[in-house]
Amino acid sequence: MQESIVRYNRYRYLWVALGLCAAAVLAYALQDPQEPPNGGTALGYTLGTLGALLIVWLAWFGVRKRQYSSTAGTVQGWLSAHVYLGLALILVVLLHSGFQFGMNVHTLALVLMILVVLSGIFGVYMYIKYPLRLNENRQGAGRSDLVDQIDDIDRRAKRVAGGLPRGYGELIHSGINRTVVGGSAWAMIAGRDNSQVVLPTGDDYTVVANPGQEAALDWLAEQQSRSMDAETAAKMTELSGLLRNKRKLLERLREDIRLQAMLEVWLYIHVPLSVGLLAAVVVHIITVFLYW
Amino acid sequence: MRYLIRFLSQGAAGSVEHYDKIVDDPTITIGRATDQVLHLKDKRARLQHARIEVRNGDVHISTRALAGVTVNGRSQRDAKLRTGDVIEVGSNILTIIEAPPGFDFAFTFELSPDATSDELTSQFGSLRLSQVAWSKRRLSWALAIIVIVLALIIPASGLLHPTAADILRNTVLLPDDGLWLAGPVHNKHSKSSTQCQHCHTQAFNRVKDVACLECHQTDRHVNSTATEAILGEQRCASCHLEHNEPPELVKQHQNLCADCHADLPAGVELAAATDFLKQHPDLQPSLLRPPLANDGDAEWTVQRIALDDPRLIDRSRLKFDHSVHLDAEGLTTPDDRRVLVCTDCHRVETGGARMIPISMDEHCSGCHTLNFDADDPDREVPHGEPEKVLQILIEYYSARLLGDDPQATGRRLRRPGQALTRADRDRVAGEARKKAMAVAQDIFERTTCANCHEVSSTGEGGAAPWRVEAVKLTQEFYPRAVFSHQAHDTEAVDCGLCHAAADSESSADVLMPGIDTCRECHGSAVARRNHSGQIASTCIMCHRFHTPDKGSFP
Repeated sequence: MQESIVRYNRYRYLWVALGLCAAAVLAYALQDPQEPPNGGTALGYTLGTLGALLIVWLAWFGVRKRQYSSTAGTVQGWLSAHVYLGLALILVVLLHSGFQFGMNVHTLALVLMILVVLSGIFGVYMYIKYPLRLNENRQGAGRSDLVDQIDDIDRRAKRVAGGLPRGYGELIHSGINRTVVGGSAWAMIAGRDNSQVVLPTGDDYTVVANPGQEAALDWLAEQQSRSMDAETAAKMTELSGLLRNKRKLLERLREDIRLQAMLEVWLYIHVPLSVGLLAAVVVHIITVFLYW
Repeated sequence: MRYLIRFLSQGAAGSVEHYDKIVDDPTITIGRATDQVLHLKDKRARLQHARIEVRNGDVHISTRALAGVTVNGRSQRDAKLRTGDVIEVGSNILTIIEAPPGFDFAFTFELSPDATSDELTSQFGSLRLSQVAWSKRRLSWALAIIVIVLALIIPASGLLHPTAADILRNTVLLPDDGLWLAGPVHNKHSKSSTQCQHCHTQAFNRVKDVACLECHQTDRHVNSTATEAILGEQRCASCHLEHNEPPELVKQHQNLCADCHADLPAGVELAAATDFLKQHPDLQPSLLRPPLANDGDAEWTVQRIALDDPRLIDRSRLKFDHSVHLDAEGLTTPDDRRVLVCTDCHRVETGGARMIPISMDEHCSGCHTLNFDADDPDREVPHGEPEKVLQILIEYYSARLLGDDPQATGRRLRRPGQALTRADRDRVAGEARKKAMAVAQDIFERTTCANCHEVSSTGEGGAAPWRVEAVKLTQEFYPRAVFSHQAHDTEAVDCGLCHAAADSESSADVLMPGIDTCRECHGSAVARRNHSGQIASTCIMCHRFHTPDKGSFP
């Protein structure tokens, strides 16, 4: 899907958008130079009307994609047209403005429009790049598979730790309970590992940061270096192996969450700004004619 | 109440391991939410699924979930619990056990052996953005409402009452209708008012002419106070646009003129004109015409004559040869030999609109002295009436004959103290008059005056029998156009580019350029369609809107 919204129907909507741009630029260039470019000239009104209709139509995509029974073109075609005509909108609106900017409601609408289109461009980039990365990262497994594998490792680690002194149980249990994945939006996007673990230090316990299960692995390695019986040593080796595997799985899970969040996060800018833009366009049109 | 919860899990090789949790609460809440005492990871469980509490001395489990809880295999909404009862919530099994000493109630908690991971929620927090981010819908509404309130509703509240508008404009953080400005207000306008309502008197209505007429006079445009009727459907703002960038209060748009001048009603003398390059009549100089009657009081008239018309003759009645004056070899002047240039005589008025008028005193007398006697080159006759000239000459020669000038010819010797006889006096007067007439005839008919002026002999017996025709130079050849020599940079540009003066031998030549000369630089109004690099020239570059004395509108 990701490539096909760009290439949809042999770039049909790219050509439509280019044609629209060419017509707008031609009309702008051929405009009587004695009539300085302005939103209020005949061409200005034409481009403004065109831009407003485009904005309404582009926003209508949010409705169309939910109309599963609609037969008015495919959603794929709509999205392709949405992308290309959205890009053409920038030019149409800039020509409508006659490149006059100021601290006013009119430029507010223009700025919102540009932000909406920029976030849309970001979204298209995400849709082209990220699904592939998502697949590569998952290596054929789903997210629940990753979670299950981690669960499985946890269960096995608990079992191994059960046969070791109390400190090890605390290490493994706290390590499992305090492993953080996901959480806030920022944590998902940044993909940061805020996990912690409780380390037995002498008679006491200390809570330390445990990114990538590092602290737990280091503690285990330190314990291993001390002399101990063969059975304990074997269990320690098993625990270390389990934690290293868990670390890899956690990395992939975090990356999966990050990629998925990136695929969605731009919409939290694109959609509200689009609605804000619709409001700003309404304000723009009303105020232009309020003080005609 | 002191509860004991024993968590059971499958250990290695089928052994069962347990952890104990002690709860000192009156109630044990059970559910999927993280704040529940007994936290379930089961998707089928509600966030707050059930609660265990003491009622009337008995321990009860109750739920508001429609599915209820299964107690001993029977789905129930509320059940009294006894030791040995087995409760199922989704895949979780709670078994009531005998409370050990020190506890009021105890149960074990374990996962059903046939529970699948699909039914369980992850041990981790939220893994999808949609679970934690704000709702897009709510963000959208918030942004739309902020925009509408700040950019429309609050500024618009100023329309209700002028005081409200003032409060908004004078409070820094409150948005006012300045946010609606589509472009800068022209300097002059912003100085006279900062209130939008001064011009925009009615919401959703175009600015009315009345608003302009409060300050502006209309006599530049129409010779009447009844502007509405005369301007028809046109408003002031049809041509005078505010809030444009760049600021342009006078619309240059050619079609404002061309719409009417393409096809003027019958009976109008003007030729059609729609574009300087494509459709514009050739220029017709307005030439001064001397009065037909020779009575001296008649007015000079103005006649517009086409440049290719054989009648195109300048009839200023001045004899002047531009080619001689502009001789590259130079001219003999009283002082020295000098090469004259155009600007020695033709200078632009301050402001550049017109040329300073040519006058004898200013421009000619430096070289053209009015002396008459080679023996006395400093003496000159005045530039004026023939009678006065003759009178001066007679007085001059009388004095010479009677005075002390030893060189004077025809002086009669007489003894000191001897008075002139009447006969002598008459004789001297006669001689002086005769001499003066001879000199006058020479300067009027052949030399000084006749050099520049048309002089005719009246043949009458009057005091001075000559008539010098009055001279009047045309000041404005194109009075209906606005032309500024300064704008054309005459300091740098050779005058000869437009005026073929160097080859003109007669003052009858009209040295005004035609439209083709203008078109060498000035092109069509639509500059972008010009390929020759001409200056885009609209009507208003040279012409003004109808003025009361130059035709009416429409």
